[in-house]
Amino acid sequence: MNIFLKEMKSHRKSLIFWSIGMFLMVASGMVKYESLASSGQPMNDMLAGMPKSMLAVLGIGDFDISTATGYYGLLFIYLLLMATIHAAMLGATIIAKEERDKTSEFLFVKPVSRNRVITAKLLSAFLNILLLNLVTFVSSVGLVGKFSNGEVVTKDIAITMVGMFILQLLFMVIGSSLAAIKKKSESAASLATGVLLLTYVISVAIDLNENIESLKYLTPFKYFEAKNVMFGGGFEFIFVLLSCVLIAVLTLATFLFYKKRDLNV
Amino acid sequence: MNVIEIKNLTKTYGKARGISDISFNVEEGEIFGFIGPNGAGKSTTIRTLLSLIYPTSGSATIFGKDTVQFAPEIKKEIGYLPSEVFYYDNMKVKDLLNYSASFYKKDCKKRIKELAEIMDLDLNKKIDDLSLGNKKKVGIVQGLLHEPKLIILDEPTSGLDPLMQQKFFELLEEENRKGATILFSSHILTEVQRLCNRVAIIKEGKIVTVEKISTLKENTYKKFKVETKSTLDPAYFNLKGVNKLETKDNMTSFLFKGNINDVMRKIADIEISNLWIEEPDLEEIFMHYYEKEA
Repeated sequence: MNIFLKEMKSHRKSLIFWSIGMFLMVASGMVKYESLASSGQPMNDMLAGMPKSMLAVLGIGDFDISTATGYYGLLFIYLLLMATIHAAMLGATIIAKEERDKTSEFLFVKPVSRNRVITAKLLSAFLNILLLNLVTFVSSVGLVGKFSNGEVVTKDIAITMVGMFILQLLFMVIGSSLAAIKKKSESAASLATGVLLLTYVISVAIDLNENIESLKYLTPFKYFEAKNVMFGGGFEFIFVLLSCVLIAVLTLATFLFYKKRDLNV
Repeated sequence: MNVIEIKNLTKTYGKARGISDISFNVEEGEIFGFIGPNGAGKSTTIRTLLSLIYPTSGSATIFGKDTVQFAPEIKKEIGYLPSEVFYYDNMKVKDLLNYSASFYKKDCKKRIKELAEIMDLDLNKKIDDLSLGNKKKVGIVQGLLHEPKLIILDEPTSGLDPLMQQKFFELLEEENRKGATILFSSHILTEVQRLCNRVAIIKEGKIVTVEKISTLKENTYKKFKVETKSTLDPAYFNLKGVNKLETKDNMTSFLFKGNINDVMRKIADIEISNLWIEEPDLEEIFMHYYEKEA
């Protein structure tokens, strides 16, 4: 409990900044929607004239961006990127920082097992990403609702947020397992964000080229895409299963490898 | 009873030298010195005992329990002061000490106050703002606040001024009187000589000798310096057991190991004006162990 509280406290500031960032991201996106919607231009016609690859790179895809929820669907990928970068970095640094700051010679000579330390740290990281997710959810419902002209938005946003949370968890344990496995754990955070960017690039590549669609299992960004889960689409069982298995395996790896490894003192 | 038992402990890191085949015991209630130059393997041994790193082969027990298997349990009764102290940023001294105390199931508030007073440490300062010496004091209080039965110190005096060092040694002697066993690692011989009953000398990852400090001194050379009234035949003291015989004007000096009566008789036969017989200090003994195999 003491380690958990200590971690919550030491990540409080960073969580507040990320939350503000998340809110501003949603707000600025929806303000842009408002100016587009009020300009009276038929946006869909304009987009229809653009090449498909360009739409794919911009993440616009098949959304009806003349509606508030459609526009939000477009915005979602950026929220997802932010939330997963936060999760990956948090997962890696919460484990690696004891060695980075040379505090491991303080913490690990206390009467606690390594498993207990990892449990406390992962629980703290879990609560951090949950809070960031809730901030995003509340900001999204509030701000999208404001521009939706009475359209019901909560349900569509909620389902994207559930998807986002699963991916946050996944990237958190990707980060933590890298920090647990690597001897030089300081580099785990940059490695985890590297993995994240790589999988994101793969997901964009799949949008550009339908021939490589089978690669979608390799990139979590394809698991719960807004365009698939919103508007009554829901989750695909295979991706939920795949995420759960990956999260379980990587969590286990975090515990096992950290327990066996020499601390970098 | 042995508080620490180390059996053939070996730790290798890739190609770099770690420690190899280290064995020694630390008995309950003693202050045990662990001495060797930087890089000899003192910290590696201690970190292996604390399960920060794991042995490649061999094993160690503390309080009769395996150090790897029972690590969390053993550590309830260990206080450790690392050679370099780094603490969480942005914490006050008080916060860090309370955090440290929160790991032990006892009330340490009173002891923290006492120790801070002895070591003259301001509890309300931010750790970031402290000097190296004051950070070291935080480390000392942090290591002793739960009144551990075994205190492990890795180069504890660096950064402390002589006055604080004195207070710190008195504190350790007090803890020792109350029953604490102390493992004291250092490369400074005088402090080990001052504090410890027994000592293990480590060289290049191997234990060279484990001895009582008193035996170490007995079994070595004595330094003789004789001033004579008239110039002496340089070969006069050329006995068995004499080393480094030097004669300069009326001064003769040499090292001697053996039956001291032989030398005394020789000295009695000549007219001398002054005589010095000195115990070698630990430094010289230490150099002796280091040069022997060089």
